[in-house]
Amino acid sequence: MNIGTREEWQEARDALLAEEKEHTRRGDELARKRQELPWVPVEKEYKFATEDGEKTLAELFDGRSQLLVYHFMFGPDYTAGCPTCAATADSVNGVLPHLNAHDVTMLFVSTAPLEKLQSYERRMGWRLPWVSAGDNDFNLDLGFSRSEEQTREWVEPMFDQLPPVAARNAKDTGTDVVRYLTESPGFSAFALKDGVVYQTYSTTARGLEFLMGYYPILDRSPRGRDEGPEFQLWIRPHDEYER
Amino acid sequence: MSVGTREEWLAARKELLADEKELTRRSDELAHRRQELPWVPVEKEYVFDTAEGPKTLTDLFDGRSQLLVYHFMFGPSVEGWPDAGCPGCSYTADSLDGSVTHLAHRDVAFVAVSRAPIEQLHAYRERMGWSFSWVSYGDSDFNIDFSVFTEEGRRTGKGFNFGTAKHADMDLREEELHGLSSFVLEDGVVYHTYSTYDRGTDVLNATWQLLDRTPKGRGEDPEGWPRRHDEYPEEDT
Repeated sequence: MNIGTREEWQEARDALLAEEKEHTRRGDELARKRQELPWVPVEKEYKFATEDGEKTLAELFDGRSQLLVYHFMFGPDYTAGCPTCAATADSVNGVLPHLNAHDVTMLFVSTAPLEKLQSYERRMGWRLPWVSAGDNDFNLDLGFSRSEEQTREWVEPMFDQLPPVAARNAKDTGTDVVRYLTESPGFSAFALKDGVVYQTYSTTARGLEFLMGYYPILDRSPRGRDEGPEFQLWIRPHDEYER
Repeated sequence: MSVGTREEWLAARKELLADEKELTRRSDELAHRRQELPWVPVEKEYVFDTAEGPKTLTDLFDGRSQLLVYHFMFGPSVEGWPDAGCPGCSYTADSLDGSVTHLAHRDVAFVAVSRAPIEQLHAYRERMGWSFSWVSYGDSDFNIDFSVFTEEGRRTGKGFNFGTAKHADMDLREEELHGLSSFVLEDGVVYHTYSTYDRGTDVLNATWQLLDRTPKGRGEDPEGWPRRHDEYPEEDT
């Protein structure tokens, strides 16, 4: 910290504002570049378990022309959802009416059976359309789920390098690190045109931070995120914090 | 739109990913720069009307060392007065409400402030189903003191968003403003560290960020969009 006068602050703030504006404009530019990505037809037929019965990917658009999917880490063996994904869901739960009125349907997809998802959703007090891809290859094909065997092969050589949040979240979800990491968090976008579904976009890892509403706020707080190697360890399901 | 193969998509996507990573790192850098801004002591006493009675700015920290304030437009010049707050701020508040729950566990208190009396704020909060803290700054100079930072600005009410031309005519003595201000409490002294307005709050709004990743982008806003979340026609939702 350094203490300054209002005039010193103003001068430094003006300089930073110019850079912030440049950053906003660069963000707009990347949004345009996303729209220029080629659309890839989804040729496989997927059937999802939903609260209104079995639905295809095209049916999940629910009458709109764009579909956004958050791949929520909740594998078939999990006893609870991933805490980090749960905090992400907190950030999205309130915005769905605005998206729906803008020709966008958004939903959450996990590989656990529908009943597990619904029971966790009730516990967390969300009103999210949440569907199960447990009986199809949707998550596997998009690279957000993999078999236990494949996961073990990938995880074991780097076990010591995993951030502490992996083991903690594995414990929270009632699994072990390998079974926890059979799932990955992700976000995908689809378009429906003339009856054909196209995949337009996918992202993961820090590409998901735009959905973690607490991060942009912390980025504007006096001490920033201040997480270090223990990143995300502080994040709990919202009903497990002690006041 | 152009239809492509998986291979074409992947090549274009990887190129874009490099740009996205650069933007993320640049965002980290700006966060770091924000932390280097000088801290300016807040010398005036402000009293806010809250659910638990009058509170000072220090009280709003609620035992934490950092305080983020969302300037929520709710006053006589806002559409919906006296029953409802600004539709645009309400649209952003739908994003903030679920996120700020987590901040309290990161040593950060969050509060929305508005001109309207506390009863109106709380009645509207209940209608919208939010749970964040919301207090009234009433007749105090809080909003104008943290939106224009020059003597002249405070006298004329002009100069919102660091004097941007777009808002040159806006008179903050009469009108409401939206933005985010940051404060820190150290050894009993409150310091103002940061404020941002207008598109500076875009990143706090998950809907904008999601639309930036849809096939069609933000595009033209549909008529009457955005509205308060309970005011959309049934066929839209």
